[in-house]
Amino acid sequence: MKRIKTAINNMDLRRFRFWLQLLFFALFVYGGYLAINLGQYLPTFSCAFNEEGRGGICFFLPMQHLLGMKWSTLFGWAGLSVVLGFLYFALWFFALNKAWCGYACPLGTIQDWITSLRNRLGIRYSRYDQDQFRKLSRIKYVLLVLMVLIPLGVGGALLPHDMVTSFCEICPARMIVPMFTGDFSQLTIDFSSKTTMILTALGMLVTGIFLVGSFVKKRFFCFFCPMSALHYLMAKPALLKLKKDGNKCTRCGDCYRVCDMQIREIADEVDDPRIMQDDCILCLKCVSACPEDGALKATYAGLTVFESTEQGFIKRMNKGVNNEPG
Amino acid sequence: MLTIGLRFFAVFLCAVIHSALYAETISPLWLSDSSPHAGHGKGSQHAHSGPVEVRRGVFYKHLWLRLGDPPNEDGLVVGTSHLSPFSILGTQGQKEKVEVVPDDQHGAYHLEVAMPDEGFYNAYVQHEFVIDSLRELKIAKAEFLKHSCRAGHDDIEPKMIPRSNENIPLELVRERLDGEDFHTLQGFGDTVSFILKYRGKPVSNTEVTMITQHGWRNTVKTDMQGRASFMLIRDYYPPWNEFKKRYAQNYLVKADYMTDESGELDGVPFTQTHFVTSYYGSYYPSARDYNSYAYGLSFGLFAFTLTGAGVYFYRRRRNTAYREVRFDEKD
Repeated sequence: MKRIKTAINNMDLRRFRFWLQLLFFALFVYGGYLAINLGQYLPTFSCAFNEEGRGGICFFLPMQHLLGMKWSTLFGWAGLSVVLGFLYFALWFFALNKAWCGYACPLGTIQDWITSLRNRLGIRYSRYDQDQFRKLSRIKYVLLVLMVLIPLGVGGALLPHDMVTSFCEICPARMIVPMFTGDFSQLTIDFSSKTTMILTALGMLVTGIFLVGSFVKKRFFCFFCPMSALHYLMAKPALLKLKKDGNKCTRCGDCYRVCDMQIREIADEVDDPRIMQDDCILCLKCVSACPEDGALKATYAGLTVFESTEQGFIKRMNKGVNNEPG
Repeated sequence: MLTIGLRFFAVFLCAVIHSALYAETISPLWLSDSSPHAGHGKGSQHAHSGPVEVRRGVFYKHLWLRLGDPPNEDGLVVGTSHLSPFSILGTQGQKEKVEVVPDDQHGAYHLEVAMPDEGFYNAYVQHEFVIDSLRELKIAKAEFLKHSCRAGHDDIEPKMIPRSNENIPLELVRERLDGEDFHTLQGFGDTVSFILKYRGKPVSNTEVTMITQHGWRNTVKTDMQGRASFMLIRDYYPPWNEFKKRYAQNYLVKADYMTDESGELDGVPFTQTHFVTSYYGSYYPSARDYNSYAYGLSFGLFAFTLTGAGVYFYRRRRNTAYREVRFDEKD
């Protein structure tokens, strides 16, 4: 048992994550070709617009549809289906917590691939300063609130029906993910109404910004992702957790340097053991970069599954894994 | 003079009655989901197969019996004799009979079908009478879908298979489009095919006619497999700012078939039977009509270039030129 534990703690996390991300990418983007269907409550961007290949559907599309029902229906019998849908979503989410972002999200994986490309081209990456970081971090909550209010407004006939899935219209996953199965039909402007025209134009603008943004900034879109905000609001009862023992931390800052999301608290916070912040994607790069035994650890249902060790750190350093932050 | 006038009137009356009877003879009977009553649409809502009413979570489809073509929503059938009960073919092939009852507003024949399960339902009604030893048997068919995304999209393939009712003597069965699912709408430019079946077997070399809402019609003959195909024409030209992508255009497909079936209907003998069958459907503007790649890619490229240039110049501006500073240790 001890040997297995040591092997896990000494593993090359970057390689493990690469293959796991590839596996999830294949599952969510091409799973449909193998008749895989994980349902429509997935807490990750398994885009529904990738009609042929999707292995399941991101919860945001059905959620917006459900909330967009007529108020008389929504606040009647159908309200139960909204609650049930949310429960299914929560069950999926509790299994992996925010690791859905760090390991399973196809859009996150695409951003990591773009980052690798930049890295290979030798172009430096950008970082936000702390003030910018704080302001940008709020955007995802605004988007989440809008994503609930807009369909409700549609259901109450206050807004045009075309706005019911407005987040999906502007989400870059709608344009980018189907392209991996040869479907380019989303790269269009829909002139059928003024609302769809504005939303699809906005979607194409966001896609252009997404491609450049992901190239210069690691996990660029994740700062604005309302799925990340919803995850954080539900993260407490989730099974996978990131914990920190402040007594063992020397505040060397390695964890902060490797963090794709620039979460400063991972290095600064030494009092609260529940270190996971709203922007965290649970990639566990911080754990693998920590040289202190047991200072950072990932637990699943209370059991430690991966923790920082000096031996593991040295092993990864010798392989050059932690040489480059990112 | 009076006698001549009466004779003219009698001849005129005969001509009117005959033309009315003839019109009734050749006109197809069909089922439409467009309400003839202004107030009826209040409780209805848009679904994947046109308007439905939802009561306590169950979808209900309303259909009205109509006569004549083109399908311009006139010609409600009121007070016709020899109308068979409606036959409903459910999603699992289960059959149900519903008595035809004129509705309480205009006496028009109206049918309400409960759709508890996901999938396609067929509704049929038959009307028969005898004129000059010829039995006229008219069959109206409507096919409609019940789908709610809340029910999911799993295992829909078996539910997509077109089904026919062997108790219906002449039936038009619509074949599904390539890759059709519950969300697929028939659109301009699509080719829609029908199999004409007489007593469950395909009928070849028989004329089938499609008539659109605006009166365009096309007649083709069925091939050896009983198949008749029509390309749905673009028949909707509103000003661009009034364009609706969910604008439903109705069409009616009808077919005639003459046989030597003989017998008696209410004591009136007949030596031949003339079948007229119909299928009512809808189609919509094609996505090709309102989607533009040129504008889409232009917007994407514009944002990409602007952001890329912005990042490049921002970084360049923040680069400070290297300046060598020399320290003199003596100072």
